[in-house]
Amino acid sequence: MNFGVISAIFRKDLIVFSRDRFYVFITIIGLVAFVAMYWLLPDSVDETIHLGVVQTGMDTLFDGLGAGDQGLEIVEFDTVDQLRGAVEDGTDGIVAGMAFPEDFLDPGTKPTVDLFVTAALPAEYEKAMEGLASQLGFLVSGTEPPIDLATHTVVLGIDRVGNQVSLQEQMRPLLAFFVLMVETMALASLISTEVQLRTVTAVLVTPARTRDFIAAKALMGTILALTEVLILMTLIRGFVGDVPVLLLALVLGALMVTGVGLLAGSSGRDFIGVMLMALAIMIPLMIPAFGALFPGTAATWIKVLPTYGLVQAIVGVTTRAASWSDLSGDLAMLAAWCLVLLGLGTVVLRRRVATL
Amino acid sequence: MNLKRAWRIAARDLRMGPRSPIFLYAVFLPIVMSFLISAVFGGLLDPEPTLGITDLGSSQLTVAARGLEGIAVSLVDDAAELMGKVKNHDLDAGLVISDSFDAVLRSGGSPDLDFYISGESLASNRIILAVTTSELITEVAQAEPPIDVSVVAIGDESYVPIGDRLLPIVVFYAVVIAALFLPASSILDEREKHTLDAVLVTPTNIYEVLLGKGILGVFMGLVMGVVSLLFNQSMGERPFAVMLFLLVGSIMMAEMGLILGSLVKDANSLYTAIKGAGIFIALPVIFIIWPTLPQWIPKLAPTYYFLQPVYDIAINGATVTDFWLELGVAVAICLVLLPILAAVGRRSETRLAWAG
Repeated sequence: MNFGVISAIFRKDLIVFSRDRFYVFITIIGLVAFVAMYWLLPDSVDETIHLGVVQTGMDTLFDGLGAGDQGLEIVEFDTVDQLRGAVEDGTDGIVAGMAFPEDFLDPGTKPTVDLFVTAALPAEYEKAMEGLASQLGFLVSGTEPPIDLATHTVVLGIDRVGNQVSLQEQMRPLLAFFVLMVETMALASLISTEVQLRTVTAVLVTPARTRDFIAAKALMGTILALTEVLILMTLIRGFVGDVPVLLLALVLGALMVTGVGLLAGSSGRDFIGVMLMALAIMIPLMIPAFGALFPGTAATWIKVLPTYGLVQAIVGVTTRAASWSDLSGDLAMLAAWCLVLLGLGTVVLRRRVATL
Repeated sequence: MNLKRAWRIAARDLRMGPRSPIFLYAVFLPIVMSFLISAVFGGLLDPEPTLGITDLGSSQLTVAARGLEGIAVSLVDDAAELMGKVKNHDLDAGLVISDSFDAVLRSGGSPDLDFYISGESLASNRIILAVTTSELITEVAQAEPPIDVSVVAIGDESYVPIGDRLLPIVVFYAVVIAALFLPASSILDEREKHTLDAVLVTPTNIYEVLLGKGILGVFMGLVMGVVSLLFNQSMGERPFAVMLFLLVGSIMMAEMGLILGSLVKDANSLYTAIKGAGIFIALPVIFIIWPTLPQWIPKLAPTYYFLQPVYDIAINGATVTDFWLELGVAVAICLVLLPILAAVGRRSETRLAWAG
């Protein structure tokens, strides 16, 4: 390989890229939009139900109910009208209100509790609030409920109450992936134009060989993608936890999308054709990043997708303090997929250049 | 102007459509978007608490739980599997019901019951699931609650799930891609490949070409708008009113697309223009999703005048008479665009004549 030639082709590509209004525009706008989107997303999870209450003589009970990270915040009101207004307006996030009658604590009575809900309240909340009033009734009356569920409850896994992963943090892999995708299209378009206009044949008249040409394109794609994703991760506070692991994952991610760019670009189609081809390849690769937004384990078919390791590494390092040992399997699979896609992209582009 | 010739151009473009990636993009994107938005983002932003049940007998508790609204209940065969799912947060909570549960409960005893909570579940979901389960147990035990609960519904605003609020995105993509992007790229493609020159050598003039491409754009915009609404089961009770606004919106978008396709230099510029103006024409979508934002802002965007009526008629049960003003503004925009389109067409024809 001739490094001088590779460097010359790389510099030429950089100039061509900087003159392409569309990709420069999309790159800048994309970065600004993704960073803005990140900072506009909620940085915490509101896991509290805000309940308005009008009651007399049960301060101790309600103080206990609303204490700690129990997911319930009690807001007390003096009158039923005030409570009703607060529920209607959603003041302080109140989703429902309970008005306990003054004779609630009187023995021998079966009081009626008014539960105020808006028509917009999801069904599960209404049922839960009814249940809560009923359970309070058991508690206050001294009657034993059929089963005290609290004594039968076991929390499985790490208890994250009060320390949930925010939507902002969940979105990091997806944003990183969007940036990588834009650069895949840029590289694909760059290669496709060379193939379509046959400028590659002019390059090959010089001392440059096909392998130099492909190496320069791969270098260009990787550096572009990596630079942009590093800027993005810096701006979205992505470098937390084990930074070397994260850096390795991002380098591998940049290499992988470069392979996709080589594949899509070797088709030599027009601009729209290349865009759609790159999209067709990238959309399935986005699935693990979307999957990371949801709780639970990913399906097996998602785990074998090339980008799964990248997403796991970003999520693991930035939200779960994962280390080398936790992510070695995912990183190994990501590296393997990089080799496959880069190899495939190189072979396909080499064959395409040979046919020109 | 010869309408028959314009019609022939529309029919030819429709016949050739499946060969064009943009045409396929216009057809498949709304379907993909529908899936992503309603299944993925609907579930993400408005998740239901999930409860798994392993019923070792055939308890009435299971029957009652499956009838719950707003809680996703699933049956799991064995307790170990259930615990695994809860631990991995595939489920928010899990309930293991012993085979003699109902009999022991009704006899006043304390039956075996395990209630597992996922460490990653939200505190609010834990309360909802625990309280609702306790309430169901009370019902199954046929125990008399010590209080009565009277539910008082406030306000007339009905709950609109986030999946429905995201519907305008699907409609927006369906109409904009099919009615704006399709004619724009079609006219640009004909200009770039010089097939437009060949057409204009025949008795067909530029206005007939524009009309033909416009007819196809409007037809596709209308069809894809209807298809995307049907796909989301959201045509509402007044499908003809919805279709009226979709038709006017498609005409508006087709006119814009034809103007854009006639003016831009190449595909890169077309993409840049659409991406650049994208945020402006997508404004109404953002403001429908977040209705608390100031609602005068989306009225600056032309797309507001068909997207808002489509949304309110399909989802909120509004009628055409509620949107006479919006309909008038939308028609006025279409009329204002007509002379601009005619001028752009004339300019385009003159340029081609000079180039020839």
